[in-house]
Amino acid sequence: MSLLLTLLAPIFATLLYGFERVLKAKMQRRVGPPMLQPFYDMFKLADKRVFIVHSFHAWLGVLHFLLLWLSIGAIMYGVHLLFVIFMHLFALITLVIAGFSVRSVFSHVGANRELIALVVYEPILILIAVSFFLSLGSFEISQILSSDPLIYSMPLGFLALLMIIPIKLKKSPFDSVEAHQEIVGGVEIEYSGLFYEFIYGAKVLEYVFIYAFVFLFGGNNYLLGAILVALSFLVINLVDNSTARVKYQDMSRIVLIGATLLATLNILGVLYV
Amino acid sequence: MFKKYRKKSPWILHYNAGSCNGCDIEILASLAPKYDLERFGVINTGNPKQSDILLITGPITKRSRERVVEIYSQMPEPKVVIATGSCACTGGVFRNMYNVEDGVDRYIPVDVYVTGCATTPEMIIDGVVEGLKILEKKDKTIEKPLQLFKNLLTKEKETNRRDMAGTINEQK
Repeated sequence: MSLLLTLLAPIFATLLYGFERVLKAKMQRRVGPPMLQPFYDMFKLADKRVFIVHSFHAWLGVLHFLLLWLSIGAIMYGVHLLFVIFMHLFALITLVIAGFSVRSVFSHVGANRELIALVVYEPILILIAVSFFLSLGSFEISQILSSDPLIYSMPLGFLALLMIIPIKLKKSPFDSVEAHQEIVGGVEIEYSGLFYEFIYGAKVLEYVFIYAFVFLFGGNNYLLGAILVALSFLVINLVDNSTARVKYQDMSRIVLIGATLLATLNILGVLYV
Repeated sequence: MFKKYRKKSPWILHYNAGSCNGCDIEILASLAPKYDLERFGVINTGNPKQSDILLITGPITKRSRERVVEIYSQMPEPKVVIATGSCACTGGVFRNMYNVEDGVDRYIPVDVYVTGCATTPEMIIDGVVEGLKILEKKDKTIEKPLQLFKNLLTKEKETNRRDMAGTINEQK
């Protein structure tokens, strides 16, 4: 079952991304692309010619995808939560190194942005993992999924997680108007063809990673977990459609003050309430 | 095998080679909710290395011709060039002016011409759909700019794209 879920994760993630694009189009009163559009994109990218800047850069993109897949596999197998978080961190670091390993200025800007985002949201994930440990006495995901729903005992932690999802999925923020492609898409600017497909796949896999994290708050009540995932999916898309002009300074301020405060209060709540 | 998916996800690169912004606004309008080109899977990528269709507007000014050739040579095959608007097709009202080269097709091979000053979103969508038919038939041989690239370095099975653009402004 775990193996099946792990193997199917990229396909499921691609479907989810296609659904999100349709949903976003409907929110903007557009027709939107077909649901299978990301698959079409991937098939087309496999058909294109490939430009490689240098082989290290290209293989780092593949490594990024594989490590991300590994961390999702670790979630599906229910292992240590900190292992999952740090494996995910490792995957992102490979992307940052890839961004810095080429000469393109936009690639450097994008890698810088990736690092800032990493600094902003990674503590929140760890603080949430710590609060899981404090309330259950274990970091094992299989234990979290067999305990009572955690959303009742740590709603603040859930809110903190909700605040970092738009950053994680590269929705908000971006610097200035029309700069989304250059700034947020900066690290992937030198990838093309087959190797860009891996980056695209990794971008889509992030959806599974972060929504699996949301799912953990449901505990042994899988239906509740699914409802939480659906709700947060809707909220994130609403936020994405309504906040186009958030700057990264705002992001770091809001998240470092707001979300860190929420996550810390959450830990205090778990300890003393 | 994947050839039929080319027309299902054409990614667009939009370049303004000295246009008055009339055609650019129409291109953005055709991507915006009312005309919604995204329903054909079109994305405005802004990155030549990941795009299939080059939508190019404006007469080629002497300042921009080098960039046009460079952007064109950075796009991976198969690719299609669509000259959007009268200026990009022939030079339009700027034809024979001192700082303008007439039309995109002096420098790079153009597949579809979309006329009009300014052109309309309907015509741009028609042009893109027409370009998709051409894109589906193309093979992956390396396409070169028509003129003004300094002796292209070709080794065995290897073409140096960096020199495709060359330094045009040095040539007389």
